[in-house]
Amino acid sequence: MKIIKGTGIGTKKASGILRFYRSNKSSLNNKFTTYENEMKRLEKAISGVKKSIESLSKKAKTKIGNEEAKIFEIHMMLLEDEDLFETVTYEISRGECAEKAISEASEKYARMLKALDDEYLSERANDIKDIASQLINELSGGENKEFIHTSPYILVADDLSPSQTVSLDKDKILGFVTFYGTPSSHTSILARAMGIPALVGVGEIDEKYDGKYCLLDSENGEIIISPTENEISIFKEKEKEQNRIAKEHESYLKELINKPAISKNGHRVLIYANIGSEKEAEGALLNGADGIGLLRSEMMYLSSDRYPSEDELYYAYKEAITEMKGRRVIIRTLDIGADKQIPYFNIPKEENPALGYRGVRICLDRIDIFKTQLRAILRASVYGKASIMLPMIVSEKEIIKCREILEECKNELFEENYAFDSKIELGIMIETPASAIMSDVLAKHVDFFSVGTNDLTQYTLAVDRQNPKVSYIGEQNHEAILRLIEIAANAIHKKGGWIGICGELGADLTLTQKFVDMKIDELSVSSPYLLGIRKRVGECL
Amino acid sequence: MEQFTFVIKDKNGMHARPAGAFVNEAKKYNSSVTVIKEGKEANGKRLLSLMGLGATCNSILNIQIEGDDEKEAKIAIEKVLKDNLSEG
Repeated sequence: MKIIKGTGIGTKKASGILRFYRSNKSSLNNKFTTYENEMKRLEKAISGVKKSIESLSKKAKTKIGNEEAKIFEIHMMLLEDEDLFETVTYEISRGECAEKAISEASEKYARMLKALDDEYLSERANDIKDIASQLINELSGGENKEFIHTSPYILVADDLSPSQTVSLDKDKILGFVTFYGTPSSHTSILARAMGIPALVGVGEIDEKYDGKYCLLDSENGEIIISPTENEISIFKEKEKEQNRIAKEHESYLKELINKPAISKNGHRVLIYANIGSEKEAEGALLNGADGIGLLRSEMMYLSSDRYPSEDELYYAYKEAITEMKGRRVIIRTLDIGADKQIPYFNIPKEENPALGYRGVRICLDRIDIFKTQLRAILRASVYGKASIMLPMIVSEKEIIKCREILEECKNELFEENYAFDSKIELGIMIETPASAIMSDVLAKHVDFFSVGTNDLTQYTLAVDRQNPKVSYIGEQNHEAILRLIEIAANAIHKKGGWIGICGELGADLTLTQKFVDMKIDELSVSSPYLLGIRKRVGECL
Repeated sequence: MEQFTFVIKDKNGMHARPAGAFVNEAKKYNSSVTVIKEGKEANGKRLLSLMGLGATCNSILNIQIEGDDEKEAKIAIEKVLKDNLSEG
């Protein structure tokens, strides 16, 4: 038994026979013919490799994804690069055969990139070597005798090029292990996207292990060669469990992901995701979110040691909106105070912060901060569908004031020639009892409501969520909360608007039927709950 | 001659894809495109040359464009840089 550690790519496991692959370098010693002949061979090889890159790129596009296929566009550009070509030509003029000339030239540029003290750029050295080895392979007849084994195996190589990785037959290759390479190499990126478990940068492995059985665990970054019976059974057990969960999730996804959530009596509920930053939008989309029901702005403020600039906010919002491809993204303006404090805001300590200076109250006091956010959201709104949501509203006056400021921002942006969605939706959080009770009045001023059940519970039941002695009161789905939600739902529907729920109650599957009965239009939950709630709505009457 | 400076804000620096986009754009124009980083010059129409600058996040690039279509080239190249190396 031998354990070898490396950097795992992905989280999957694989077990099988190890097969070593070593690249063949013998053709480098070919004899130089004439300058004209070597140049002719070189050009023929270049056009041959171009063709194969085109087909690999197509393969990557359909099998993996557009982003990954761009790697091959870079290969194509390298192949057309004049510097590289001139260096190869120079080597040939010195009397080297085309193979050797390519090898020398690519080594030169690979060394140059490796020398640039930058992990990403030095990884590109491998892309140049990949091109070179394809050219050399093409020169020596273009036959691909690399992966000839018939039964599935785990591939061991000193390194794999992106083109080799894409060519791997997924039915034959259970996983791969490379001596070199890092998690940011193109090969690792491709392996991740293709879902092949891999271990990179393990260092040299003795060829005597060729043909030996091994366990590859990419999550823990190790392979166990010639494992004991006990190790195999533990590994298999874990693998089974992992596969079961993955399969279940996958079949769920396939079944549900792009199906609208409609109850048996025909009420459609939009299933939205709550996210804490723009980076989570991708995960929401993967789990089939119909939109973003709550994009919190707090992270950008919490992770900074000064007020974020309009541009910084704009880029973050833009990323989320672009990622969601036209699906609605509800951006909540800053909701700090209470349990979320930010040093540079210099908010004095309060006796009772939950009832103090927080949410929209800060924004209406510090209008400069508020405007920065509104302008950033407006500017980002052209990249899809954005909506603005105000937290902690208790009165009509607050909304009217916010609307005024929003109009002011639109006028400024118009003057400054910025594009924005002039009809951007404005909504409020229903998270105070006052806002629910006054919802018929508030509904006149907004396009939508979104119920923040966590704060609504705390303020309605007078229960501190953080206090274990009383928090149980809030955990029972209190009728009082449901009645407030119903009041708000009726009020906004009367005015032709819509209502969502973005608090924890939204994810409570025992309440979904009640929400369908109230004709709640949207439920927003964190990404892992999206599919469960989508399924549940379909079961509701 | 037209010239401008640009500060790379992408955390990955002048990596392969933006360098590729830059070169593709630069090649559309007759003008010569020179990219200078801390005195080191690169031909903006050649991928390896450009990547060889080792431009990383916060690197300051000076771009010089010279030729009959330098004005149009400057606008197009500035846009490519902004679109590909401003953030992320």
